[in-house]
Amino acid sequence: MKVPCCLFRNFSYVPPPPLVPVQLPSSGEAHLWYVVPDEVKDPSLLSQYMDILSPCEKENVLSFRGEGLKKAAVLARALVRTTIARYQINGHVNPGSLKFCKNKYGKPELHWEHDLGKPEHKVHFNLSHTSSLIACAIAVNSLIGIDVEDKQRKLKSNLVSFARRYFTPHEVKVLSSIQDPELQRQHFIKLWTLKESYVKALGRGFSAQPFKTFTIRIRESESGDICALNCLDNKAGITVECMDDPNRLSKNWEFATMELMGSHYAAVCMENSAAHQTDQGSYPMRLIVRKTIPFVKDELVS
Amino acid sequence: MASSALKASSSLCVRPSLSQPKISGLRSVSLPIVYPSLTSRCVLQICCAAKPETVDKVCKIVKKQLALPDDSSLTGESKFSALGADSLDTVEIVMGLEEEFGISVEEESAQAITTVQEAADMIEKLMEKKGA
Repeated sequence: MKVPCCLFRNFSYVPPPPLVPVQLPSSGEAHLWYVVPDEVKDPSLLSQYMDILSPCEKENVLSFRGEGLKKAAVLARALVRTTIARYQINGHVNPGSLKFCKNKYGKPELHWEHDLGKPEHKVHFNLSHTSSLIACAIAVNSLIGIDVEDKQRKLKSNLVSFARRYFTPHEVKVLSSIQDPELQRQHFIKLWTLKESYVKALGRGFSAQPFKTFTIRIRESESGDICALNCLDNKAGITVECMDDPNRLSKNWEFATMELMGSHYAAVCMENSAAHQTDQGSYPMRLIVRKTIPFVKDELVS
Repeated sequence: MASSALKASSSLCVRPSLSQPKISGLRSVSLPIVYPSLTSRCVLQICCAAKPETVDKVCKIVKKQLALPDDSSLTGESKFSALGADSLDTVEIVMGLEEEFGISVEEESAQAITTVQEAADMIEKLMEKKGA
């Protein structure tokens, strides 16, 4: 059952600054927008972000401990709202007027309340943040999931023990085969983001799809060696295989993995639309990456 | 004990004293002798909350994982996400708890734990099952 997060607007607010409009992603295309919290220092800008949040979102922001976490929480919601507002769906341009709800598993979704029926292009979004980077992925008529992670992230536990506990045998085998500890750690982080992006795209909660129930496979190189994620270009050859549901076709999902700012790994997982699949497999995902400071500037990255 | 045990929460059950004829509001509920000083307040009795020692151990593991200072105040209600934990942190915390308490947590539960209290309650339930 869809429940709107908040139904009432605060009528005593000042309209937010304009946003540069953008075309919606086409079929088979995803947009990635990211913001770097350290680059947002102006208190009046943060205040403008706070102003476009719903009362529920404001309350949630205040529940975080410490100014850093609060700021990240504001930026995350502001990023989602301003990003979606740019697409001017059904003429909506005010990021503060967007409504969100949760699907039956708790995944946040856009909520359209007008009785003209759902818009022709259903916008899907997903958010991910680390303390140093917040990213939002957008797709149309396709489920989408994103996860970002600091490249330097180190596990407190032993990598391979962790993998044995939570990953599938194939994934453990690939991970263990990497000799260099630093390359192994990087592969681990990329693999984690890929798995997270898939679960988030599915949107049914982590309990519905534990990490041990699906394998992320990387296409073998020509020599037959299993290629670690380090030596792969960003879009080729990543597939998911479900252990418990062989009927769930792996070609339904496209993955892309990349570095952002040289400091973060990001993984995006998107559902393939039927139009995008051929007998040879599907066309790789087109990904447009933009860095942004909402209301201030946008920069096309790739 | 009292401070962590007494809180209003949807997961608690209310046990009114059997000698009380009717409950006309929470204020009129009085519990058996165990909480004699609290009859004028809203009092609820916990059915199965974790021991304070368990909660303390969980707090210690969480602080370590999230690199929080030793003197930061964590309670049962502390939400991992509000402390800055992401899903990888949560899974590592659960792994740490498994090692500390010698239990095994199902993956479905591992990523669903959101607060210190939930973790502590789950640990004790699993330890009970193990001991049975």
